[in-house]
Amino acid sequence: MDAYQRIVCKWCNGQNTNPTACAFCGAPLDVQNLVSQSGWREAPRLRDMTQIHFDQSTCQVEGEIVPVVEISLAPNEWVYFEHHCMLWKGDNVPLTVMNLQGPKRSFFRMPHIVTIASGPGRIAFSRDATGEIVVLPLQPGMEVDVREHAFLLASGRVSYTYERIKGLANILFGGNGMWLDRFISQQALGLLVLHGYGNVFERTLAAGESIQVEPGSMLYKDASVTLQAEQIKLSSGLFGGTSMYLARLTGPGRVGIQSMYHHHESGE
Amino acid sequence: MTSPAAPPVCPYCGTSAGTAGASLPTCPGCGAPLDVALRVSASGWLELPAARDMARIQCGHSSVQIEGKIVPVADFALAPGDSVYFPHHELLWKEPGVNITQRSLAGAWKRMLAGLPVRMLDAVGPGRIAFSRDAAGETLAIPLHAGASVDVREHLFMVATKSVAYDWFNCGVWFQTRQGDETETHFPIGMLMDRFTAPAEPGLLLIHAHGNAFLRRLAPGERILVKPSGLLYKDSSVTAHLHFERPRTSGLSLWTWGERYMWLALYGPGRVAVQSAYGHTHDPGGRIVGGANLTEHQW
Repeated sequence: MDAYQRIVCKWCNGQNTNPTACAFCGAPLDVQNLVSQSGWREAPRLRDMTQIHFDQSTCQVEGEIVPVVEISLAPNEWVYFEHHCMLWKGDNVPLTVMNLQGPKRSFFRMPHIVTIASGPGRIAFSRDATGEIVVLPLQPGMEVDVREHAFLLASGRVSYTYERIKGLANILFGGNGMWLDRFISQQALGLLVLHGYGNVFERTLAAGESIQVEPGSMLYKDASVTLQAEQIKLSSGLFGGTSMYLARLTGPGRVGIQSMYHHHESGE
Repeated sequence: MTSPAAPPVCPYCGTSAGTAGASLPTCPGCGAPLDVALRVSASGWLELPAARDMARIQCGHSSVQIEGKIVPVADFALAPGDSVYFPHHELLWKEPGVNITQRSLAGAWKRMLAGLPVRMLDAVGPGRIAFSRDAAGETLAIPLHAGASVDVREHLFMVATKSVAYDWFNCGVWFQTRQGDETETHFPIGMLMDRFTAPAEPGLLLIHAHGNAFLRRLAPGERILVKPSGLLYKDSSVTAHLHFERPRTSGLSLWTWGERYMWLALYGPGRVAVQSAYGHTHDPGGRIVGGANLTEHQW
């Protein structure tokens, strides 16, 4: 291949010289992008044993039913994760705990321990459910909100915080709990890896464009996308009739949903 | 002079592919791939192939696209005036302009007692709306030709077009056990069964199969034994009852299980479909004191 020829990944916009898989997100580059007529784009099905590079470290996705993410950490590099997602690790990989507001997070059933694994060494993660691994390379300045317990790991260059969901209706009926994890890449390219139950689909909403989704299906969104629980009146009656709640997501920005939307307890 | 060849027919749902026939990669009626060889086991089960990712099925002026392979999504593009109905928990997303209303179901109290959804919703076009089930498996599209009907085990129904009539009936598959002074009634495939009929014009029914799905056609009088919770759907002409088999034991039994195998006996003529992932069927053991058309065999 011509050294100056680059293949742009349609999933993460990374520029590649390898024609088969994106080096930044692992998406196959030699298969057609699957987009439904309604505009949802299927998350790329990562090929078994796909390798992704971040900083000096590598990430390999193994298996297809319940995929495993194996990280080979370079010296002085690190990743963080919810501790119950860890599958195995080399015995020389040190673990430390990220300082969080533990009691507050425990009260709202979020993991109060986020663990850090530092290189050099190998460590692997998986979530105990059928689904897809979604690799999101975060360009500097990007902010992504993720539903509780969906994040598998993030590289050390990605900063982590959590955003309280505003509005009582959003908290009670929004299906996302009280918090969203927020990942911010400030100065350098970072890596965020999520696990979606079932299949994962993404669409980009234009400014002001909105879509109503089952609240439990929202997987991630750009921080610019707003989330609002909405009551859908189904029938009227003497005691107020019946209704259901959907989450309205309004652009601009990306929205990711999962097709198996039952809220799984983390077992924390 | 040779007569023109008849248009190919989908081996899974019987839909004619029309004049475009041989060149179509997927069946326009059920979305099954037509360009792959049939997979039939040595025992005669035909594996229902998962709809190809992004396969499109036309139903009248509307269409549905099947997206994904692990937990597939059924994404409907509804034409103006067209509608679909569905249990409320199947909804994944919709465009804000699609109006949904509740339809009344007869026998709501009985359905509630049987653990079936008592709310069925209608969505009216124009617009887009999508459905999925929170379990790994296959979305099966069953086109119903005018006059055809199919019986589906409870909790498997996802969505149907408005030309498909919905009814339910007592499936009559039950048995009673007694322990001490207490008599307990068991319904291994549920108390009620859903029946979908296309009375006047063709319609489309979508159900969810856990795991993989397999189909076979039973000849008149032919019998097959299946695990009760493995049943997906059957033609209305297929009859069913419970059959118990007791294995031969030697010496002292520890009574650690029901001491019997429970089967659903299905009799042709007609189609029978099963799923490879099934919930646990509870048989508490103990003396059977009643039931509908039970049979038993001691090995």
